[in-house]
Amino acid sequence: MSDHEVRLGDRHVQPAEGWRLDWLDRAAGTARLVGEGRSIPVVVEGSGSEWAVTLHGRRHAATVRTWRERLFAEAEQTTRGHTGELTVRASLPGLVVAVRVSPGDEVAEGDSLLTIEAMKMQNEVRAPRAARVTTVAVQAGQVVATGAPLLTLE
Amino acid sequence: MRTDTSPPPFERVLVANRGEIAIRVMRACRELGISPVAVYSDADVDALHVRHADVAERLGPPAPAESYLSIEAILAAAQRSGSQAIHPGYGFLSENHAFARAVEDAGLTFIGPPAATLQMLGNKLAARRSAEAAGVPTVPGTSVALGDDLTELTRLGLPIMLKAAAGGGGRGMRRVDSADELGEALAAARREALSAFGDDTVYAERIISPARHVEVQLLGDRHGGLAVLGERDCSIQRRHQKLVEEAPAPGLDEATRAALFDGARRVASAVDFHSAATAEFLIDSAGNHYFLEMNTRLQVEHGVTELVTGVDIVAWQIRVAAGERLPAGIADAPRGGHAIEVRIYAEDPYDGFRPSGGTVTAWQMPGGPGVRVEAGVEAQTPLPAEYDPLLAKLLVHASDRPAAIARLRRALDETLIGGVQTDHGFHRWLVDHLAFADGRYDTSFVEVEWGNGPATGSEEEGLVAFAALEARRSERTGDPRHVAADDSSAWGRQARRGALRR
Repeated sequence: MSDHEVRLGDRHVQPAEGWRLDWLDRAAGTARLVGEGRSIPVVVEGSGSEWAVTLHGRRHAATVRTWRERLFAEAEQTTRGHTGELTVRASLPGLVVAVRVSPGDEVAEGDSLLTIEAMKMQNEVRAPRAARVTTVAVQAGQVVATGAPLLTLE
Repeated sequence: MRTDTSPPPFERVLVANRGEIAIRVMRACRELGISPVAVYSDADVDALHVRHADVAERLGPPAPAESYLSIEAILAAAQRSGSQAIHPGYGFLSENHAFARAVEDAGLTFIGPPAATLQMLGNKLAARRSAEAAGVPTVPGTSVALGDDLTELTRLGLPIMLKAAAGGGGRGMRRVDSADELGEALAAARREALSAFGDDTVYAERIISPARHVEVQLLGDRHGGLAVLGERDCSIQRRHQKLVEEAPAPGLDEATRAALFDGARRVASAVDFHSAATAEFLIDSAGNHYFLEMNTRLQVEHGVTELVTGVDIVAWQIRVAAGERLPAGIADAPRGGHAIEVRIYAEDPYDGFRPSGGTVTAWQMPGGPGVRVEAGVEAQTPLPAEYDPLLAKLLVHASDRPAAIARLRRALDETLIGGVQTDHGFHRWLVDHLAFADGRYDTSFVEVEWGNGPATGSEEEGLVAFAALEARRSERTGDPRHVAADDSSAWGRQARRGALRR
């Protein structure tokens, strides 16, 4: 039983079983997956809960959280509730490369609000629920720290 | 060191480019006994190409206009370094007739076709007219610059492609599907052409679709010698830019091949030509061929032709620039076999081939039999946003096409790139595609068959999740070497080491 949960995008994914990860160069992130009589090269980069895995040439963003981190995140989600004003904050430090909404825009759940480049990955910040954009606090080209307010929704 | 006794064609050659092509040219220089000189912008101080040269000269700030496109800065660098000739690579100033003329006026040798030829063939409308005059079929279109009178256009039938006369290489093009878009599209095409190329002359061509894009490699000397080095199929494209090239063109019948070679020869013979150039053609589904344009420079994809002919095109560019004659029959005894090139771009094929940018972290290129890698980057290379996102070209050569595809699949599986999303995954998908295996593809292939790529399979997702999970666990346990779900692999590794010792 794993003590972690893994998400690819917004979906929970069950890690494959019967494989092992052999590092080729830990610092560069090169490794191979060995299992089922096969060996598959991968690049694994990141730290903490945020990872990028390149498999067969495609780069995937993966979030690996402990149950404690997950419970904390869910509690935070609950206190936000489903109505009222919601401040969307940067979940990791990075460079804002694109802002896709303006104050007054109506967004649906899952719509991309802005793109932050962090850990050399472009991360889409998506609307947690259907809402109207009230303020936008950042612009493209700006560097943001973890927890920095990005925009508010209501 | 050269083993024969002939002196090097030049002592020192300045390579007015960056990235993989600068390194490719410098390697040719080294093999000819020539000392290569690099130039660099402030964004490229630590770039790989700089380290391949004997001497490196700074051009200026990162912006291309102040560095790799600055004729003044490049000529000054050539004077400072004592270079006798300049190789422009592709892109940047390679087809700029004013640059070629300025190089010659400075008493140096331009390694490329004569300035007047660059000027004449650089105007795509003039090149069209020249081809027509030489009896080579062109894509149905206007052979005069478009005025405000649109009747000429409507006669062509829609859809059409509006093209900038000063464009080429897939740039400065605009598709028009309906008559009511025409006026506005023409005005926009003119504005774009003026801002991108400084010339608002626009012409129109009928869109040939489905079509294959096949081009013919030419090599000429200063004494009238002209060799046709075969063709390449470059139909795998996105945004009219090539992703994959192969030689010979699959499924091309001998009569069409001969007609393409003859057409290319006619276009080149109509002008004062030496050095390397490529005649580009479209072939429609009925097998009719149409001349598109002539590229008067080294092509990105010249390597596939080198692999199947055994002719070093870059070395010959340098040698003919110095006045050497092409040997008679240079193209008569090709090596044969089949060659394929894939371009590794810092682009996201899962998001419309959008440039991805960032820093290349991991960089592991394939090797072994029949594999050639032309790379402009290595591990820990930041990618300047100012320049073309081509990172490397991966080429394979094998006895026939199926063997070349198998070799390419193997080479792609050895390739590991970290830090940036590249089109590696697209190429890996391509080599398993049945239509590609059968050689049945045209210029719409990427748009129709790939789109934004297939969804990630559940097995793949499970492996990605497992890799991320194990990476996080290894971070916690601090094991620097390897991590496994259990301890068996450590024992396995030990056992394998033991077996090797026996």
